[in-house]
Amino acid sequence: MDIALQINGTTEHLDIAPGVTLLDALREHLGITGPKKGCDRGQCGACTVHIGGRTALSCLTLAATVRDPVTTVEGLSTSDGLHPVQQAFADQDALQCGFCTPGQIMSAVAAAAQGIDDPDEVREFMSGNLCRCSAYPNIVAAVRRAGAEERRTDATV
Amino acid sequence: MIARPDAPLKVTGSATYALDNVIDGAAHGFLLLSTVAHGEVASMDVGAVRSAPGVLGVYTPFEPLTLHPVNSPLLGPMWLPLQDTNVTFHGQPIGFVVAETFEQARDAAGLVEVTYDERPAATSFADGLASAVDAQPAASEAPPSLSVLADGVASIEDALEASDVTIDATYETAAQNHAAMEPHSAVAVWAGGELTVYTGNQASHLVASDLAGGLGLPADAVRVVNPVVGGAFGGKATSMPAVLAAAAARELGRPVRAALTREQVFTATANRPATVQRITLGARGNGALVAVRHDSWSSTTPDLGFVEPTSHGTSREWYRTENLEISQKAVPLNIPPATFMRAPGEGPGSFALESAIDELAASLGMDPIALRTRNNSAAPPGKDLQWSGKHLDECFEIGAARFGWAQRSPGGRVDGDWLVGMGTATAMFPGLRFPATVGVTLHADDTATVAASGADPGTGLLGVLGIVAAESLDVDRDRVTPLLGDSRLPPGGLSGGSTATASAGSATMVAASTVIEQLLTLAASPDGPFRDREVGYAHGRVYALDGADRAPMTFGEVLRSTGRDTLGTTGTTAPGEETTKHSFGSWGAQFCEVRVHRLTREIRVSRLLGVFDAGRIINPQAARSQLMGGMIWGVSAALHEGIEFDADGRVATRDLADYLLPVNADIPDVDVRFVEHPDTLLSDLGARGLGEIGLVGMAAAVANAVHNATGVRVRRIPIRLEDLLDV
Repeated sequence: MDIALQINGTTEHLDIAPGVTLLDALREHLGITGPKKGCDRGQCGACTVHIGGRTALSCLTLAATVRDPVTTVEGLSTSDGLHPVQQAFADQDALQCGFCTPGQIMSAVAAAAQGIDDPDEVREFMSGNLCRCSAYPNIVAAVRRAGAEERRTDATV
Repeated sequence: MIARPDAPLKVTGSATYALDNVIDGAAHGFLLLSTVAHGEVASMDVGAVRSAPGVLGVYTPFEPLTLHPVNSPLLGPMWLPLQDTNVTFHGQPIGFVVAETFEQARDAAGLVEVTYDERPAATSFADGLASAVDAQPAASEAPPSLSVLADGVASIEDALEASDVTIDATYETAAQNHAAMEPHSAVAVWAGGELTVYTGNQASHLVASDLAGGLGLPADAVRVVNPVVGGAFGGKATSMPAVLAAAAARELGRPVRAALTREQVFTATANRPATVQRITLGARGNGALVAVRHDSWSSTTPDLGFVEPTSHGTSREWYRTENLEISQKAVPLNIPPATFMRAPGEGPGSFALESAIDELAASLGMDPIALRTRNNSAAPPGKDLQWSGKHLDECFEIGAARFGWAQRSPGGRVDGDWLVGMGTATAMFPGLRFPATVGVTLHADDTATVAASGADPGTGLLGVLGIVAAESLDVDRDRVTPLLGDSRLPPGGLSGGSTATASAGSATMVAASTVIEQLLTLAASPDGPFRDREVGYAHGRVYALDGADRAPMTFGEVLRSTGRDTLGTTGTTAPGEETTKHSFGSWGAQFCEVRVHRLTREIRVSRLLGVFDAGRIINPQAARSQLMGGMIWGVSAALHEGIEFDADGRVATRDLADYLLPVNADIPDVDVRFVEHPDTLLSDLGARGLGEIGLVGMAAAVANAVHNATGVRVRRIPIRLEDLLDV
């Protein structure tokens, strides 16, 4: 079937089978490989993207059902540099192998945007994203750092 | 300064893991696994598969892919898929379907009709203990059993008999899966008789060698590429999808992608065995160990494959004791293969030994740290070779002060509805090196590269190589680019045994000093800018030793003035005579605080501290992260993860909802400290490994804290709520 997806600000037209997930559409059909397939059944979070501004598991989303704009980790950074959450992950060493990182970052962007700062609330919010290297404490630090940075920027504006 | 050179790629989604190589025209492969644990595949009806949409190839034991026997330099003879109809475990690869799309391959694989001639399967570790056989501990030359007895002592039983206090307990640890976030996967591309395979692994040159053997190719016709790896932990020494994808790609004349599903990872790779360990300790009233007996049983495969070396990995070396006896047995079962997993032997072994030491401390009425300090060793029992550097006492001293150990009471404390306890344990991992070759190349633009075939699956090796090369070349770090993960690079930096830093790091030092010598020779040569002068090198510059009349030149300027783009060489190091002079190991003190709910028995880890003696620390931020990750692995072993088998040998816990891993909310802040005493007896770099030691002892520290909090001694991990209910 023919579908159109808005991915990171670009409209993409695809001819895919109805059973193709958003994750496979992104990776196999569009070459957008930031989102990762860690389990393909919504248990690890490595495929997390934003659909219409909300976090979603792209492995549990059929591509043909997506109407709202999709943002992947590739859509965060700009020509000005890294998104504050990406920078915070690098600075806080919130990654090791890096395979879960695109999903962690998409959840972290949502956490920072919602102003979640209490460490226990950050841990809870980020618990849909597994990290086998177990960078969890550094991920919490990165989310809080990015959130503080965003609030500081907002206050300045 | 960020800890990892590859962090900018990883945070933007542009790091290229194996399956991120999206290649035009690639077909998709999907594995088919056995659904019985033991028997023969009697028939496979693939008629419906062949006529399914998009199917390009169907491979089975009856129509196999052509493969040649492989004798892996690392792991010995390799099992190759589809070569015969034998089935020895549930979930064994028995078919491979290749189609135009992933969905077509997966759907077609579901159409295969398989019949089996089933045979009885041995699947129960507990049932097999009685008929266990002596087994060689993995990665060891040692015999299964050995004993060290003091003069005049006839047997370990006599030594135990003569002890003032003894404890005798049996511990159990669950089988585990590495569960790296990146499932095993590969993209295989042929061009002109040469093969390139993108596949995550721990040493690209070794996987290339295995593939060349399996496909009947000369070694230089295979290139394996893995600049980033989505976690390995011992589980990516081989690559099943790479073998299948490469062979199918040759048959089909087009690139093939293949990945294991998460469920398949639990059986089509290999796991950490389950263990049972009986430990008997005898001590004098003052805590001095008189006798240590550690008998170990490991599950393994019917052909007696990998055996988890728990007693050899811990009691053999850790404590001073007058008498020691250890043994290793194996229980062959029809279960998926076994292999190395982060801290093989030391991980499960330390749960048993360090729980037993805690039990002995309680029996003696001694502080658990005091008992460990009392039995600190200068050398392994029965060996003359002293530890090259061992600062375990300092680790405990610093750790006890930071953690507030003095506030611990033998019965724990109560905080509202929560029972709070503290536990501690020793951590140890051998200080090893492997042979390694690393290349260092100077470029005319005043940058340098440092390169090896090995892998950085999150360990931080890439940053280590960059730091060591910059330091050795005496230039800023931002002028050095480290490269890993390509079998065409010099063979070094295998990710395994916590060896990569000491091995590839010291080889980098050799390569850098050699290339500097070559640079100086070039500079002073008849065609060089410093012809016939005595020259020296500092801060990335060549200068004349005999006067200030000649301005120093950067290495780039020297290369440009001699018409060269690059000057490069390799450096090689290998374990040498240091192993005949000392024993080597990293050490650590683990601390854990748990809170157990009075009514529900929910167990929460509330504080973790590890203090480690791992020689020189090259990259403190990445080192801290790796140790922290290891410590969390210890918590996971204690409270979360374990493979459960159904009676018919099927892995019941084969996804990430059933195979429990800690999530962020399970983990508190983690405090990691180093006592930094460079170990230049092991290598010129002064670093020992720290990839594995982080988890060693931690499961015992958790269990010991649970005991402190509740009074319940749980001798089986993972600990479940129900273990604490009968109180």
